[in-house]
Amino acid sequence: MISTLELPEETKQRWKPRDIWCALVGLVSLALAVGAASAVTLPVTSDLGLVAVLPWPFWVGVVLLNVAFVVALRGDATGPAHRVVMLWLVVVLVLVLFGTALFVTDVPRGEVAFRHLGIADALSDMQRVDPGIDAYFNWPGFFALLATLLAATGLDPVSVALWAPVLNVFLWLAAVGAVMRYLTTDPRRRWLVLWIFCLGNWQDQDYLSPQAFGVFLYLVIVALLVGPLAALPPKFRGFRRANLAAWWQERRPADSRPGHRVAALAVVLLLVVVIFASHQLTPFMVLFAITTLTLSGRVWPSQLPLITAVVLVLWFVYPASAYLAGHPPIEDAGFQGAVATNVVERVGGTPGHLLVVQLRVGLTVVLWLLAAAGAVREWRRGRLDIRVAILAAAPLMLFPVQSYGGEMLIRVSLFALPFIALLACSALLPTDGSLRLSIRRATALVLTFVVLAVLNVTGRFGNTEYDLFSDSEMAAVTAVQRLAPPGSAIISAAHPTPWRDQTYLEHQYRTIDDLCSPDLSAGTCGPIVYNFVRHNPQGAFLMFLRSSEASIVLQGESTTEGFAELEEWLSAQNGVRLAFSNAEARVYRMTP
Amino acid sequence: MSGGVSRPTLALGLAAVALSVVTLVGLPGPLQALVALAVLVLLPGQALVRLMPVTDGALGALLMVALGIASLTAVSTAMFYLTVWSWQGCVVAMGAITVLACVARAGTEVPA
Repeated sequence: MISTLELPEETKQRWKPRDIWCALVGLVSLALAVGAASAVTLPVTSDLGLVAVLPWPFWVGVVLLNVAFVVALRGDATGPAHRVVMLWLVVVLVLVLFGTALFVTDVPRGEVAFRHLGIADALSDMQRVDPGIDAYFNWPGFFALLATLLAATGLDPVSVALWAPVLNVFLWLAAVGAVMRYLTTDPRRRWLVLWIFCLGNWQDQDYLSPQAFGVFLYLVIVALLVGPLAALPPKFRGFRRANLAAWWQERRPADSRPGHRVAALAVVLLLVVVIFASHQLTPFMVLFAITTLTLSGRVWPSQLPLITAVVLVLWFVYPASAYLAGHPPIEDAGFQGAVATNVVERVGGTPGHLLVVQLRVGLTVVLWLLAAAGAVREWRRGRLDIRVAILAAAPLMLFPVQSYGGEMLIRVSLFALPFIALLACSALLPTDGSLRLSIRRATALVLTFVVLAVLNVTGRFGNTEYDLFSDSEMAAVTAVQRLAPPGSAIISAAHPTPWRDQTYLEHQYRTIDDLCSPDLSAGTCGPIVYNFVRHNPQGAFLMFLRSSEASIVLQGESTTEGFAELEEWLSAQNGVRLAFSNAEARVYRMTP
Repeated sequence: MSGGVSRPTLALGLAAVALSVVTLVGLPGPLQALVALAVLVLLPGQALVRLMPVTDGALGALLMVALGIASLTAVSTAMFYLTVWSWQGCVVAMGAITVLACVARAGTEVPA
């Protein structure tokens, strides 16, 4: 790792026969994976998710791809294979790991991307921001961007949502690549970081969303902080006040061009404002990263944490004041609450689902252990770059801030991932990074990567029994959006439901799960739902989708029988009649 | 060079004006998407990056995309808050940002 600003050296590389072979194997891997994923039929009916139904050629493709990458990474005495080949293999890995669902279906996975399309659509219709609608309208930046892009390009919104995971991961990788150019001069390590970043990225946060956008801009800010805005501190002489003052004052900028530093600072400030206008959580991560790096003496503009904090406070007290009024910042903060919502409440459900959850935790733990081993190794050799350790650990500060719907640990592991990957490289590569990998180490790397890839696909697509929607289910949702008059309520059994992408503001959207949880029994939950509908003068539409039922059953909130009893109870009430049905969905119109 | 302005700067500014007009007039399907993305993100991003003394090509490419997206987000959000949003207005604003950045860049270019 490097602690000074060294601009990367570009050396001319020649193509070798090995490079051609690696590129061809990458192509074969892609063909195998795409062909196998295309053969999967919906719905997926295993609580293990996609991993249980992907045909064997997919896994042959995964193995071949990892072999090709390790061979290319091993290269020869001059370094890894040609950068075009390395880049191609990374592209293939992204398509295989993050595009798998694309080749299975042309419907975006999950509910949230649909909702985000609906918010952008609502903004376009209103042509103004109304913070009173919900939290999203207190951080409208990303949705404003999306509304403009969709209107100006004429692209199909659903196609944009479908391809968003692949596009977002490419953007993240570009930013991670730029960051690594300032943190290591070893080309093997740079490529390996990108590979591990993909393999360890099971968090599934790359869908069309403000947080995916925020992660990209956060990584760009980090690239500027460790690049043009970096500082070189003198040797640390202890914690005495005089020593600290001298240490602080003797820092010098890593980039000697003042113009470059000022321009980089201006870019950081623009990105900070855009992030703060777009997402609720990422600003805190930006603030923590900037503050900890500055306090470590590694960032030159020492006022940056203060400026960032002021922008954060200003956004909360003015544009986001409507949200703040109903959600005091420390309302659900605290370590105990965070553990309960992020860990305890998430580890439950059917045996298959439980295994998926455990494997997700396992993948994260494996990477963090590798990173810890790598950090110890670097520290013993006196080469540990404190910036990498800080950037890997800083996301942990987010954990007790807010429970964030039980997803904070997922966000923490994602923000830390690039730097965890860099530290893990130190455990996986030879002590001297410039050395060529031995056959034994290369074999171990292939095995490690294949295991990580299997864990990634298992974790990432572990919910496909309920977050991949069939055409029949989409037909039911379309029918409801067509039939429901403005003001009526639309009730689905549970999240995720692929709704709200067109009529975000026209209806009350609720799920039975939200209304009744934790007791979804017919005797208790039926009357709650029925009374909710009776008080809505425009009536309601009630959707029972196969995926919603699977969601409730898989997560252990009810059983198939219990769910059927609830539907039977509701369908037998006065004013309730079947309005639409097909093999995987039933829709009931409920009049008050 | 042309009157002290480098060809890339001139080409960038002229492309922004021409493609903005083309985007507003409208093109068939995929072409509209490509041209609109260029006008809204890539050209302004590139024009802004050219105001910075960036020597690292990878960082320059990353900043082109990041600055283009961030600028468009800032412009779109401001227009929504000011209740003057329209996608056509955003195209004009981003075209203007590109041209202004090119003018600023031209001011720093030494005549041959």
